[in-house]
Amino acid sequence: VSPLTGRALWRSLEQAAGDPAFLARAQHEFPGIAASLADPVDRREVLKLMGAALLWSGLAGCDSKFGKDLIPAVRVPPGIVPGQPNYYATAHVLDGYANGIVVKHLMGRPLKVDGNPLHPASLGSSDAFAQALPLDFYDPDRASALTLHGAPSERPSLERSLAQQRDLLRRTGGRGLRILMGGTSSPTLAAQLDALLLQYPEARYIGWDPVSRDTVEQGATRAYGRPLESLAHLDQVDVLLAVDSDLLSGAPGSVRYARDFAARRNPTRTASMSRVYALEPTPTLIGAAADHRFIATPSEMERIVRALAAALSSRSGPAAAERESLPAWFGALLEDLKGAHGRALVHVGRDQPASVHALAHAVNESLAGHGSTFDLIEPVRYSAHDRGATLAQLVEDMRGGKVTSLLIIDSNPVHAAPGALGFAEALARVPFSLALAPRGDETARTATWFVPLAHPWEAWSDARAYDGSVTILQPQALPLYRGFSAHELLARFTSDAPPSGEEIVRSHWRSQLGTDFDDGWRDALATGLVKGSAAPAVDARLRDHGERYAADIAGSAAHADSPGALQVLLRPDPSLWDGRFANNPWLQELPRPLTKLVWDNPLLIAPQLAARLGLKNGDHVRLAVGTTALETPVWTLPGQAADCVTALLGSGRAAGGRLASGGVDFYPLTGGSGVVRLEKVSGHTELASTEHHNPLFATPAEILRHGTLQQLSQLRGRETEPAEAHLYRRRPPGPAAWAMSIDLNACIGCNACIVACQAENNIPVVGKAAVLKEREMHWLRIDRYYAGTPEEPQSFFQPVLCMHCEQAPCENVCPVGATVHDSEGLNVMVYNRCVGTRFCSNNCPYKVRRFNFFAFAREQRRPPESFNPDVTVRARGVMEKCSYCVQRIAEARIEADRANRPIGEVRTACQTACPAQAFTFGNLADPGSEVVKRKESPLHFAMLAEQNTQPRTTYEARVRNPNPAIEGVRS
Amino acid sequence: MSELAAPAPVDPQVPRADDPVVRPDLTIGEMTDRICAIALRERAYGWWWAAFVPSMALTVLLVVAIAYLFYAGIGIWGVNWPVMWGFAILSYVWWIAIASGGTIISALFFLMGAEWRDSINRIAESMMLFGAAAAGIYPILHLGRPWLFYWLFFYPNTMTLWAQFRSPLLWDFWALLTYVFASILFWYIGLLPDLASVRDRAASRRRQRIYGVLACGFRGSGRDWRHLRAAYAVMAAIMAPVVVSIHSIVGLDFAGAATPGWHSTQFPPFFVCGALLSGFAIVLLLIIPLRRLLALEDMMTGRHLDVLCKLLLTSSLLVGYAYLMDAFTTYYGGDRAERVMFETRLFGPTYRSVYWGALLFNVVLPQLFWNRRLRVNPSAIVLICLGVVCGMWLERYEIVVTSLHRSNLPSAWGTYHGTFWDWATLLGTVGMFLSGILLSVRFVPVVSMHEMRTRILRTARKAAP
Repeated sequence: VSPLTGRALWRSLEQAAGDPAFLARAQHEFPGIAASLADPVDRREVLKLMGAALLWSGLAGCDSKFGKDLIPAVRVPPGIVPGQPNYYATAHVLDGYANGIVVKHLMGRPLKVDGNPLHPASLGSSDAFAQALPLDFYDPDRASALTLHGAPSERPSLERSLAQQRDLLRRTGGRGLRILMGGTSSPTLAAQLDALLLQYPEARYIGWDPVSRDTVEQGATRAYGRPLESLAHLDQVDVLLAVDSDLLSGAPGSVRYARDFAARRNPTRTASMSRVYALEPTPTLIGAAADHRFIATPSEMERIVRALAAALSSRSGPAAAERESLPAWFGALLEDLKGAHGRALVHVGRDQPASVHALAHAVNESLAGHGSTFDLIEPVRYSAHDRGATLAQLVEDMRGGKVTSLLIIDSNPVHAAPGALGFAEALARVPFSLALAPRGDETARTATWFVPLAHPWEAWSDARAYDGSVTILQPQALPLYRGFSAHELLARFTSDAPPSGEEIVRSHWRSQLGTDFDDGWRDALATGLVKGSAAPAVDARLRDHGERYAADIAGSAAHADSPGALQVLLRPDPSLWDGRFANNPWLQELPRPLTKLVWDNPLLIAPQLAARLGLKNGDHVRLAVGTTALETPVWTLPGQAADCVTALLGSGRAAGGRLASGGVDFYPLTGGSGVVRLEKVSGHTELASTEHHNPLFATPAEILRHGTLQQLSQLRGRETEPAEAHLYRRRPPGPAAWAMSIDLNACIGCNACIVACQAENNIPVVGKAAVLKEREMHWLRIDRYYAGTPEEPQSFFQPVLCMHCEQAPCENVCPVGATVHDSEGLNVMVYNRCVGTRFCSNNCPYKVRRFNFFAFAREQRRPPESFNPDVTVRARGVMEKCSYCVQRIAEARIEADRANRPIGEVRTACQTACPAQAFTFGNLADPGSEVVKRKESPLHFAMLAEQNTQPRTTYEARVRNPNPAIEGVRS
Repeated sequence: MSELAAPAPVDPQVPRADDPVVRPDLTIGEMTDRICAIALRERAYGWWWAAFVPSMALTVLLVVAIAYLFYAGIGIWGVNWPVMWGFAILSYVWWIAIASGGTIISALFFLMGAEWRDSINRIAESMMLFGAAAAGIYPILHLGRPWLFYWLFFYPNTMTLWAQFRSPLLWDFWALLTYVFASILFWYIGLLPDLASVRDRAASRRRQRIYGVLACGFRGSGRDWRHLRAAYAVMAAIMAPVVVSIHSIVGLDFAGAATPGWHSTQFPPFFVCGALLSGFAIVLLLIIPLRRLLALEDMMTGRHLDVLCKLLLTSSLLVGYAYLMDAFTTYYGGDRAERVMFETRLFGPTYRSVYWGALLFNVVLPQLFWNRRLRVNPSAIVLICLGVVCGMWLERYEIVVTSLHRSNLPSAWGTYHGTFWDWATLLGTVGMFLSGILLSVRFVPVVSMHEMRTRILRTARKAAP
């Protein structure tokens, strides 16, 4: 099938929907397209088809009644000025929690995501997932066609089939109808679900996420009687105890939390630096940022939190015997928490059992943090109350033949349901199942019907943030593929003439916003926030207040682990989450914060375990949980609890798209019980990490300065070291002097900047083989250093990008002058002039230059219209590197020139994305600029200052605030 | 020397240190006949084909490797992010050192009037020519965008762009260009009278024409000779400093960078010493089989071997001194990154064998030449010289690769290994070099006859009472 035929077919299918002769022809021809789309070899064809589809959809926007010939947009849609960006607010929803984003459009194409400054969960920042959304949208593997039993079908058949379902359900009152979806916070969807469950009282709703927050909810229920959500106010917290916490890595609101957290971490900018304790079995981002990191197995953590609760309860401290077995630092931690009465917080991660969460609530109430360090709100996500069911109940019903119709909305249980449940077999017993999914994934292949899900940028919806604030999700482009939104699909179950997705959302908010709907609606779309929608704090009290969990405190751990027994910790992948981003090349090739691994998810094991079993990185092991076993390579992770191994979920997908199959699928182990066994087997996988040399304990002292708060107080007031002499020194004469300061206290290693840089600057993805050959292209990398022992290391992150040296070593050695200094101090790369001698990279002490060994940009699977038109796409044989987002500087300069004023603020992509505000970029010539202030900080230092390169990018040293009492105990 | 003072009847097959530079009874006519006969043979020797066919096969491999390189890009090589330079640069430096060694023998010892030079300078010059050719292709292949190599020229263009003077690579490009052209001229000017001799002895019309054209009308008149000698002497006087400059500048390619392991002022003389070492080794490797196969033992005698081995030993000692200074400056300078790099070079698991191999082959092995019997033992010389040639390659590998793989930041450390295409290109240039040498042996007088005539006359005059 040539792309032209395909294009004509897609267009005509809609128009000629009623014509049976045409349908027959379409049926006949469609498999060809499906085959060409499914063929992994034929990617050009896919790109062509995609491009054609895009072109077509763009045209559809101009005129729905077009003829056979494609006509360019002679009359540009209103509001689009060639070369000028437009920005539209929406939200990125992960597991039901929204994070406000603003999407930058050029000529109607959504290109770049940044946080929405007005949105409380974002404040203008974003995470790596949101930054990578453009490639998700332009993914050539997204499904374009309906399938029935795996064979291509068309919309009228689906509509007929849905009509039959409606008739059936109306007769039976919805008996046998199950709706399975990931947790949702959409008010419109909630209303639709309520209406549906009212209409079909026998139907059941199952809200299920592979990365479950069940224990959080259960813990709150145990503490407060209902699943209230706890909002932390980290800017108010003086002493934080993070128990296996995901505060900075994936918890709802983590982007906002990162900012609040960082606000208290730089002692030169905050009146009192916070102190952070982390207690965890496997390294997390907050553990890397913590002042004290204690390694503990899950049962030890439970014991410690229980002891804390006991010690803080008015009744009695922990029993003497209990105290004996507690670690030496426990007393100091307890005193510190007590001393910070009203300003202390304990946060427990979602992987901990409900009992630990409940105990933590008790501790937090005892520490009098309610109202200052945290607040409680009503749950943000939808709950069907008595019409709800758990996944286990659903599978049981499916097995028992009680389920006749199963809707699976944007969820992938065949891949991600706990392996022990056997979802896929049960699904085969359901006569009518419909999967609404973005790609033809594992579930879509198994279900009766597979309907492509409209991308969030193609459909209307709404969602709530971690604090309850509502964002209306507006489409960002005309659909690339014809898909349904969840709203449109649900409406088809309740109504014979369902309204459009936009109408559904709009009519819901018409009822909510009342009389001034038009203003409110417009305002909500423009700001990305429904005014006044944040959830009010609930004045809840602990249940059994007087008793204070006497039972819980006195009880013993739910599972006492026998010493030496291994435990498997199943965690979402930091880049792929539960696997939904597995087909996104930016995220696949995003170095995981601590391991720097890309494209793979080996089992993470402690150095002690590796030594005991004689395992090297990449060696294969057989990991068995009970009767389920799988083979996986391993990776040694310093700071991992010796008895715990960490398996990252989300990789190794059978049908996640062409990029998603790498790595190991650990989902079969979820929900399993039984003895964990780990044994070395033959086999070795080369794992690609961007830490090529494995410098586990390279001393970072001269590269990454760090110290304690005490040392800083001794340092204060001392003169900074004098500048070294120069033979000649030319100051760039320009009106501005661009410079950057990076606060190492703020950097939590979350990687948002890397993806932001990649998206902004058209940086290619190179693939695992090229990373193994050390040819990754990221302009910005985050170096990770360790200090201490492999068993209990301290971790340091250091973002490294072009230093824009005033005395740049790269410039002297280029024989053709392809890298030169501009008048404003930028070290600029003239791609067209580069002949590729690569001497500049050899002479760069920071090694921030990247070389196009192949035509990496051209080899990517990504349509040309997804590139940033403001940035050159580099050819083969050309050197490239960070430009301080020179295109943004140019844009600001043009604006300033037009307004006849000096150039104002410029924000680089990394700076904008950073949730912790680690980057400051600005003009050194402007004495009032933030970057000047930061460079006057006593923490200020230049990396490799002895090279005398006079870098414009400098750092603020990392300061720890250790507890003197504990430091003494440990030393 | 006393036991050698009264030599027994000499077997010319067994070289001895006190051999005369030419057989005393060798006449000018016999010498010219024999040398011309080699070039004018109707059919090539069997051994020539046996050597030429594999050499050409390797040359074809080179062509394939280059074609694929231009098609696919520099990524087919092993170079990577921290180690941006690899085989291309190190092989370039290796070849240029070999070529320079030839120039030094031919030009420098011409200026010094060394008596042993005349019979081997043609081979040394051929070695210079084809070594420079092998070296000369690498800088272009090395580029990410080789089709734009001419941007290193100063040429007027509409964008008023100019090459960048501060870059050692630019000096290198110009030095190489100068060197390659000067080498060709030097070789060719010295060849003119010999081509004329061959022309005069050629039997077939075709050969007469070809050699006639190549001889550029050299007739042996007094004027011809006067001009030739002047031009040759001027070229020799130019070549001697050029060869020092080319190799110094190659040294500056590294010394001019701030990279640990490269940033050292001793590089230019160090590289020149290395050039001497590899030049003497390759010349020995070439003349030992050729004197046997072409029956030139009476012109390339034990004396030649002895002198060249002594020179090789001397340059080996110079290189050894450079190694010592390398270690000294590292610790005397005290720079952390330099020290880390140096210690990794010596003891790092990946490349330590490279360093110790270079030390063994370049410094330790040639010490065997303190033994005078080994200096005239062809098999020993071949083995030691092969070792030196490998050692010099390892030294370049050590300088280029190990320096880059441990730079200032531990986060930018890496490893490097050549790929199939790296090796194919290297072996291809070896094939090209050997093909060139073999072709020149086959078709060009293998000994500089006009200089040999003078030498024979002088020797005879000296011997005459």
